[in-house]
Amino acid sequence: MNSPIRRLTLALLIGFCLLLANVVYIQAVAADRYRSDHRNARVQLARSERERGVMVDRSGAVLVSSEGQASTFLRTYPFGDLLGHPIGFSSLLFGDRGLEAAYATDLRSKQDLTISNVIAGILGNDLRPANLRLTIDVALQQVAAEALGDQVGAVVAIEPSTGAILAYVSTPGFDPALLIGGEAGPAGDTLDADPAEPLRDRVVNQLYAPGSIFKIVTTAAALESGEITVESTFSNPTALALPGSESTISNADGHTCGSGAEVSLARGFVLSCNTTFAQIAMTLGAGALEAQAEAFGFGSEIPFVFPVAESMFSPVDLADDLPALAQTSIGQRDVRVTPLHMALMVAGIANRGDLMSPYLVSEIIDGDGQIVTTTQPAPWRKASSESTALAITQLMVDAVNSGTGAGARIDGVQVAGKTGTAENPDQAPHAWFVGFAPADQPTIAIAVVVEFGGLAGDEASGGQTAAPIAQKTMERWLKP
Amino acid sequence: MTRNAEGALILAAALMAAFGVALVNIAGQQPIGADVALTFFVMVTAFGALHAAVRRWAPKGTPYLLPLAALLAAVGLSEIYRLNPEMASLQKWWILIGAGLGILTLWGLSSVGTQILRRYRYIMLLLAMGLLVLPLLPQQWPLPIRGLAVNGSRLWVSLDLGFIEMRFQPGEIVKLLMVAFLASFLAERQAALTMRTRKVGPFEFPEPRQMIPILVAWFASFGVMVYQRDLGASLLLFSAFIAMMYAATGRNTYLVVGGGLFTIGAAAAWSAFAHVQTRLEAWLVPFEHYETTGYQISNGIFALASGSLSGTGLGLGRPSLIAFAPTDFIFAAVGEELGLVGSVLILAMYALIISVGMGIALRSRDLFRKLLAAGLTFTFGLQSLLIIGGIVRLFPLTGITLPFMSYGGSSLVANFVLIALLIRISHEERV
Repeated sequence: MNSPIRRLTLALLIGFCLLLANVVYIQAVAADRYRSDHRNARVQLARSERERGVMVDRSGAVLVSSEGQASTFLRTYPFGDLLGHPIGFSSLLFGDRGLEAAYATDLRSKQDLTISNVIAGILGNDLRPANLRLTIDVALQQVAAEALGDQVGAVVAIEPSTGAILAYVSTPGFDPALLIGGEAGPAGDTLDADPAEPLRDRVVNQLYAPGSIFKIVTTAAALESGEITVESTFSNPTALALPGSESTISNADGHTCGSGAEVSLARGFVLSCNTTFAQIAMTLGAGALEAQAEAFGFGSEIPFVFPVAESMFSPVDLADDLPALAQTSIGQRDVRVTPLHMALMVAGIANRGDLMSPYLVSEIIDGDGQIVTTTQPAPWRKASSESTALAITQLMVDAVNSGTGAGARIDGVQVAGKTGTAENPDQAPHAWFVGFAPADQPTIAIAVVVEFGGLAGDEASGGQTAAPIAQKTMERWLKP
Repeated sequence: MTRNAEGALILAAALMAAFGVALVNIAGQQPIGADVALTFFVMVTAFGALHAAVRRWAPKGTPYLLPLAALLAAVGLSEIYRLNPEMASLQKWWILIGAGLGILTLWGLSSVGTQILRRYRYIMLLLAMGLLVLPLLPQQWPLPIRGLAVNGSRLWVSLDLGFIEMRFQPGEIVKLLMVAFLASFLAERQAALTMRTRKVGPFEFPEPRQMIPILVAWFASFGVMVYQRDLGASLLLFSAFIAMMYAATGRNTYLVVGGGLFTIGAAAAWSAFAHVQTRLEAWLVPFEHYETTGYQISNGIFALASGSLSGTGLGLGRPSLIAFAPTDFIFAAVGEELGLVGSVLILAMYALIISVGMGIALRSRDLFRKLLAAGLTFTFGLQSLLIIGGIVRLFPLTGITLPFMSYGGSSLVANFVLIALLIRISHEERV
């Protein structure tokens, strides 16, 4: 009589052991997989039910906010695609990007579901999300984006003395609103498949040949060497034969560098003569040029809130390859740079040789408007001596006043600048302009790149295509 | 363990329920209010009165069951409060009514003993049959007692008393009555069923005429439940029937025949009921049918997984995303907020109740009490096993309640009576 009851008991208890095994599997072994399943509404709700912090520009204009009330917040982006790249998004389907990702911890409301935060709430701690004040000036950003228009490219404006980023434009942009929410799939896939790559942040994530703006590095190397001054002269051929090869280097217009048999470094810089700089580089040697490029941060990781593609000087040793060295010295061959890096480089010249670490967030502000953290400007590296920087500044002033950079002139303000027209094999050139203003007390440094010549196509040049964009942007900053 | 310890543990369970409600208030950033005190009061009143009744009318009864039931009710009540405070206030009434009926059971049996159930088995059978067909009463007619369809199943009875409309599922009480009937019948005929057998191949069967009443009872109740599409309850009743036959005779024949009948019944249900097919599908591949049939099970799994090891904390998860959370899926809701720790403790409590109940059966000298205790414990245990197993995908989901934790009056009342019966049986064995 008792043994069948014992067996029934055993059967039930074995059943409970199996329950135990299943529960352990679901809640411990496979918990992460199930918990993060995109169909688990908790994942979606965790985003939309909680308020996120606001981001404002340097003068307080709201760039992104959480609209709504308890448990139904919608992230809204009043400027649409203007700030898509720096602000980024926090999306269920497409992950987290930009500042939304980098400052996720600060922007998140602590009125959430963790025990520690509930206890913090009981203790009276502030559970509201923190807010960010960006260094960006939204009006400047707008002018820069409008100046770039429908062309593919980037504009980066920096305050030279601090490294604060004033404008951060990568075109084409995207509206983050399209990528958030559970229904964002098709819109996001369209953006992802667009050949113009609107989701690519060209400011930090696209490498371009710099062309003649690299002559700033070559000039710095020359002046730092002590052997060459701005007055040093070089021969002035129509085309410079490169030793050890049959190739030649010529100037953009195919002519000599101005008139005369000899040409100075200064004149070569102002007219952006390739023949002159090839000779300077070959005089200096590969080592000096490479060292100077490294001083400007080539091959180094830029300390920034987003990962920045590393700019490249040369993948091979150029010591025994003078033709390659000559082409490198004018920003061709294998030299590759990001727009952010070029803005830092020219800001470094403006800041008398000191490169500052770039930053986008100046203050973290709590729910009561009290500043919690203020970003302290931090030097990144010394690129050149003050005298070299000042000398290059003068050359850049001349380039704008009487050379290739005329398109960047602003009435009543002395602009310093350098153009670049980076040749691309079988494609239109990239048009570059880097510069700053006012030349004696710079408050803004800028890098502009128009990918594959933009609307001008094969006819594009740094002076014609990129300089006017820089001019409009800097003018807005200097004469608001 | 002493009676005093039982009382202390009941007090602890009542405090836990109040603490749970307070935690839900804190998590919801509401003031800790009257609900905390009310919950404590209801728990102390219900289980305290039951405890007093045990002291009075079953002083030698086991002290283990009441604290376990109180603790399960405490966890269930806190979670129901978290899901829906209104349901929780109704649940408090049901706890009081259930405890009242438990006390009534103890009082009713105090002088006559459980033997009275043995004597009136056919009355119990008739009562069970009557209750079973109650939900089939017309939904609209002049009498105040009507059938009621909820979620597509005719399992409910509505009792319209004019000032209040009460709803209950007679199936839960039928279960108890049927178990009592079977225990009585099998105890009576045990000798006949085991001695005079016929051999068919390797199997031994009792004389068919010994079986007639029991088969009629079973077919009638089973048929009605299938007709009402209450397949979970049918399965439970069927299993209890087989288990008790097996317990009474010790013959494996019943297990084999039961298994065979179950297979045939399951196959028939599968081909006859579309919702059995979808449930099977939802069990095997819930995530592939996420949008449709697998939704409920998938969300139960998501809830459990989101709770992970330590849970989100009471009031801090999102168990409201689970369909039928307060009733069928209460285990998933608790698992989300109390984590694996909570789930394991709940499983342990059910396993303890099973062990205690079966222990009472094993120690019983009287055959009727032995079978009654075993049958009651088995239905209780199997019901817990089936519904939790449905949530964690050990079995296909059956829409039955989790004893003492799920929201629902009929289930609570029936389980209070069940526990009272077990305590009474253990008392009688020690007198």
